[in-house]
Amino acid sequence: MDYAKKYSIKSTDKELLKQWYLLMVTGRKLDDRAPNYLKQSLGWSYHAPYAGHDGIQLAIGQVFEKNEDHLFPYYRDMLTTLSAGLTPEEIILNGISKASDPASGGRHMSNHFAKPEINIHNVSSCTGNHASQAAGTARAIKIYHAKGVVFSSQGESSVSEGYVYEAINGASNEKLPVVFVFQDNGYGISVPKEDQTANPKVADNFSGFKNLEIIHCNGKDVFDSMNAMETAKEIAQKEQRPVIVHANCVRIGSHSNSDRHELYRDDYERNYVKEYDPLAKFRRILLRYNRFTEEELVALEEEATATVKAAHKKAMAAPHPTPESIFDFVLPEAYKGEKYPNGTEGKGETKRLIQALNETLKAEFRNNPDTYLWGQDIANKDKGGIFNVSKGMQQEFGKERVFNAPIAEDYIMATANGMSRYDKKIRVVVEGAEFADYFWPAMEQLVDSSHDYWRSNGAFSPNITVRLASGGYIGGGLYHSQNIEGALASLPGIRIVYPSFADDAAGLLRTSMRSEGITIFMEPKALYNDPKAEAGVPEDYEVPFGKAKVRREGKDLTIITWGNTSHMSLEAAEKIKAETGKEVEVIDLRSLAPLDEEAIMESVKKTSKVLVVHEDNVFGGFGGEVAALISDKAFQYLDGPVQRVGATNTPVGFNRILEKAILPNTEKIYQAALNLLNY
Amino acid sequence: MKKTAIICSFNTIKSKRIADIILKNLGEDKAELVNAEELTAEKFLSYEKAILSTPTWFYGELPNYWDEFMPAIEDEDLSGHTYMIYGLGDQKKYPWNFVDAIGVMAEFLEERGATLAGFVQNEGYNFKESKALRPDGMFYGLPLDDDNEAEKTDERLNKWLAQ
Repeated sequence: MDYAKKYSIKSTDKELLKQWYLLMVTGRKLDDRAPNYLKQSLGWSYHAPYAGHDGIQLAIGQVFEKNEDHLFPYYRDMLTTLSAGLTPEEIILNGISKASDPASGGRHMSNHFAKPEINIHNVSSCTGNHASQAAGTARAIKIYHAKGVVFSSQGESSVSEGYVYEAINGASNEKLPVVFVFQDNGYGISVPKEDQTANPKVADNFSGFKNLEIIHCNGKDVFDSMNAMETAKEIAQKEQRPVIVHANCVRIGSHSNSDRHELYRDDYERNYVKEYDPLAKFRRILLRYNRFTEEELVALEEEATATVKAAHKKAMAAPHPTPESIFDFVLPEAYKGEKYPNGTEGKGETKRLIQALNETLKAEFRNNPDTYLWGQDIANKDKGGIFNVSKGMQQEFGKERVFNAPIAEDYIMATANGMSRYDKKIRVVVEGAEFADYFWPAMEQLVDSSHDYWRSNGAFSPNITVRLASGGYIGGGLYHSQNIEGALASLPGIRIVYPSFADDAAGLLRTSMRSEGITIFMEPKALYNDPKAEAGVPEDYEVPFGKAKVRREGKDLTIITWGNTSHMSLEAAEKIKAETGKEVEVIDLRSLAPLDEEAIMESVKKTSKVLVVHEDNVFGGFGGEVAALISDKAFQYLDGPVQRVGATNTPVGFNRILEKAILPNTEKIYQAALNLLNY
Repeated sequence: MKKTAIICSFNTIKSKRIADIILKNLGEDKAELVNAEELTAEKFLSYEKAILSTPTWFYGELPNYWDEFMPAIEDEDLSGHTYMIYGLGDQKKYPWNFVDAIGVMAEFLEERGATLAGFVQNEGYNFKESKALRPDGMFYGLPLDDDNEAEKTDERLNKWLAQ
């Protein structure tokens, strides 16, 4: 589209030109100096030079309004973030990973500039995965009727990523005030654009999207970039809809300091792009149109040199992070309930598991107006979730707080992350996928979100409860039976809970929804309506994280379990009691991360024999972690090997005969327990 | 009679070669070469007729020497001036931006009242998109593709000059 030419070399105010030139020269001095830090072994081992993107990066930063707009930069955005409000010292602090680096305190990679306190967000290194987080923040802006817009800055190669498509599709559908800026330098590292997509004007791949404006500009040119970005922001803000700004840039250097572009770009091309150095061009026209004298420009260049030197000195003197700090900010503090400190107290009306979940969701939505729920199939007339867990919620809380998400699991997770960024008070519950089995497309967002609190040095925590209908025993086959807690447990920075009774489901859900941080809330879907999982649920019940529950006391053997197999283990224990008189203790872990080590150790000391039982595969399942923990810390109390019962190392077959052969059941647990008792 | 200017960057090789052919064709008594790298508004406006060389850089941009010159004449009334434009492009590598710079230049001149001449039928070219196309489907000027169809350049040029 055409846009107003507000800025030009002849009409732009001299003070503004001065400010721009100073930023551009300062930025380029930092960009040019960055590799020297690596050469001197001072850090900055990842540096993606921005030279050639000068116009658009200056413009993004200039139109960004601190504390009102939100900026999601990418790893090449040095000038963008400098122009948006970072100081040269802060840029260097990030580059050499010092403790006072405002992005992450030295935790995140260099060239990942951020300053969350002014809404310059700390983002991942996965190219473009912040695009859908940006959509989430824009959704919050829209819901809370705020003034700002969101900028998602990224390279053109990022549009090859499926999640960028999801982001733009979502922003288009929801009419979100987000500006996606594609900085197009023709390469994804060494991969040329023609190997990425058939359309060299990559933004035009999205030309069929409704509500979306696409602007093409010359990202090497300061004025064209400024005019394009101002127009884009105005459209996003006033018309509340997304815009793509496709900025043509050149990459003067290599992709990064581990890349050698002379291996794939010939001399002609490298000289050609150098000839179009945007900074040199800007300088020439400042002189040509008599806006500055040579002496004035030299004075500004000297000022930039002095600024960078002073910043370097300060940053070099700044302290490094300490080894002791590594455990800071892995997870934010969980909500601490006072009424039910162990999650074992109280009595209440007997409820089914599905009812307990539904009522707790509603109660928490009444309690906190800043809670939101979305997912696939979550709300359409009388349907409330694939299993109707959220039935009646949209009717009570409205379409702004409870709504359907597109069939795009990554977008579901990413927008939860993005909405959390808008305000700490926001709590999001998502049905991560129709079934846990379909959550895998969202894994990159989960992994990324699991880093956020640690990576931002405690500045930002995604506050999300991820509900996942899990497990088998419904004849569901390969894709309606999966348990994924074993795979997820290797991620620091998330909590994993897996209740097996209605009371624990209610209490853990309440605690999750009141806590900061991410909680993966596994729901054993086979138990939603099963009378076995019924329990008395006390009023406003709360169950703390990391507290196991002894479901059956015993002295001869301990079964450690969770989810569906809790019930089977209890049945097996009763059978053993009836047949042998032996007492089997059954511990329902409820919470896998954090894990109640104390409860495990206490029981091991008492019974000296342990059987770990879970529905997930034995091989690679979380039971291996429990068994290893016992071997490490309680070997001396054992009178036999720690053994495990779980699914076979196969997918779950659809035919009921196959399912039965694969999944654990009461009989298999009984046999294993009996063998161990006789060991 | 005032001479026609043939304005071209003297730092170029292919575009300058075309400019030399045009000069030879028109004759030095009727035309003269002007270096676009050193162009001033005064010089540009002193010609009533000019042939402009606008090769396309990158994805559809004017070369620096034109881009940096344009602000000098952006407020001028160019009525009474007539321009023909030729430009080198690459149909194979840049089919979506083929000779865009001809179109960018043409639009700029037309908006300021200039008369354009030397439109060219688009037959015989193989490209996807071009800003150089007029609403009637003709090119605003003469596209030349020395990278892929060098053998057609002289014929295309002669035909254009014969208009």
